[in-house]
Amino acid sequence: MTASATLALQLVANGLVVGGLLGLVALGLALIFGVMRVVNFAHGEFITLGAYITWLIAGGVGLSPFIGIPAAFLTGAVLGWIIQALLISRVMERPPLDALMVTYSLSILGLGLFSFFFGGDFRSYSEGPSGDLHLGAITVGVRSLSVLLVCLFLAAAAILLLRSARLGLAFRALAQNRDAAASSGINIRFIERLAFGLAVGLAAVAGSLISLVGTTTPTVGNDWVLEGFVVVVVGGMGSIPGALVAALLIGLVQSVFGYVFDDSWAKIITYLILYMTLLIRPQGLLGRATEMG
Amino acid sequence: MAAVSRSSAAALIVTVAVGVAAAALPLFGASRYQQMLVYYVAYNLALGQSWNLMSGMTGYVSFAHGALAGIGAYATIIGMNAGVPLWLAVLAGAAAAILASLVIGITSLRLRGIAFTFATLFFQALTLLAVRKLPATGGPGGLPLQEILPIWLPQIMMIVLAVLATIAMVIIRRSRTGVRLLAIKGDETAALSLGIASARLKIMLFCASAAIAGLVGAVHGLFTASLYPDVVFSFDTSITALAVPLVGGVATAFGPVAGAVLFVGVGEILQIFAPGLHLVVVGALLLAVILFMPSGLVPFILSRFRDRRRFEASAANPRELVQ
Repeated sequence: MTASATLALQLVANGLVVGGLLGLVALGLALIFGVMRVVNFAHGEFITLGAYITWLIAGGVGLSPFIGIPAAFLTGAVLGWIIQALLISRVMERPPLDALMVTYSLSILGLGLFSFFFGGDFRSYSEGPSGDLHLGAITVGVRSLSVLLVCLFLAAAAILLLRSARLGLAFRALAQNRDAAASSGINIRFIERLAFGLAVGLAAVAGSLISLVGTTTPTVGNDWVLEGFVVVVVGGMGSIPGALVAALLIGLVQSVFGYVFDDSWAKIITYLILYMTLLIRPQGLLGRATEMG
Repeated sequence: MAAVSRSSAAALIVTVAVGVAAAALPLFGASRYQQMLVYYVAYNLALGQSWNLMSGMTGYVSFAHGALAGIGAYATIIGMNAGVPLWLAVLAGAAAAILASLVIGITSLRLRGIAFTFATLFFQALTLLAVRKLPATGGPGGLPLQEILPIWLPQIMMIVLAVLATIAMVIIRRSRTGVRLLAIKGDETAALSLGIASARLKIMLFCASAAIAGLVGAVHGLFTASLYPDVVFSFDTSITALAVPLVGGVATAFGPVAGAVLFVGVGEILQIFAPGLHLVVVGALLLAVILFMPSGLVPFILSRFRDRRRFEASAANPRELVQ
């Protein structure tokens, strides 16, 4: 195999890992926006939460980080449920500005708490898998590979849930018309709490996986969620297949431009893609023209 | 109608009087610390009013007012260092912010809903990345102001700016334009069908709002006399810009005054007792206000006061209760 083909494959492999993580982040954002028409500006803080939980379990207690993943999911899901029940449900009937400001305040609050308790240190740990796997000419870290596998598993599970089960039907009914869903006997308060809990759980898992392949800081989630927003806007607000396609696309863009220039330029290009999408196709790749259009 | 214009005239006179008194404080022997507090109240107020003018009046939330102020600051300091006269450099700050607002506004203000908020959020992140890269801005190492200005100059400029921004809010709230803006905030489709040119109005208002933010950044740049990208473009400035009016009273002219005083006060108290908790307190305060008094602190207290007076009046005259 030629050197350039190897390089291309290597970049694709790296892009898949970033894309998988972005997919998990964007899946949660799309679920919340799709079901509730709420943009969750606090999503990044739930990613950070998952990362710190896993760091505490692996680096602090010394257990496997793979115990951190379900722990992060459960904590996130319970927290998401509670936040939806106590805070966001209070503003669902009000102008959309209020729900936006509630999630934004939560984001400020979370960022403040993480900075207060953990300081600005870069946290990482050596527990869990390590080493590299050589697949032909390309090299993939075992940690990165496990991240990709978990992402694929969760994305598949989420799509199956939304496609086939009664629950998915309820989610989609709510996404289409909240009042009609309520009058046809769907317990909308339950479904909304479940959607928010599930989305926050996924964000926490994303954070958990990010702590495995990177370092954890109070702003780690913030950096990821900006790209997560690019993914949901490019994919079409609230469209889950769109979000997953866009996640892979942005993952590849990050990987390729991060290699050709540097990580800052990769980010600048990603953000410019957002502006181009708003200009040319505001409803996104697979989104229907709704209030964005 | 006469009563309205009389009350707005009174409001304008009081605003100017408070501004003159604040600017004259050093003459009455106010300490350096007290002057500093007054400066920061004026800074927060002017920044908050610039956000209030756009986002408060239309409901289109901007997360980029900190970045607009930062662009104003960089344009002014670069201009000053190139030997441009002070007034021209400050105006260049406003012009640069207007230009930036046009970039954001034209890509997103023709759309409805959340597009504008996303555009502003990414604009802030993009500006920080770009300023770190550009050689003219000194990169991550920062950009000092070469000329040394007397400290009273930016102090007085900021007070004037805060007064003018508040007057702008008083005037626009009571103008036809203000009514049109509130119509857009209430129901944009209905506003459009009444013949309100909403896209043009929103873009013009965002430019005006950005001009104020740019001026605030320019004067603050002169005050701090050195710019570091991570400080100038930190999200904290954008958070302050929206938290001051939201906590004090969104879309009101005088709510942000209370918001600015509260912010500086809370900041000073936290400096003593818990310097690490600033963001936590701002977040919790914002959350509490949005959940329990969505119109903000000042309108909430005023409505309580009015309800009580009405209740007492009706207790004195029970027949009013029936009506």
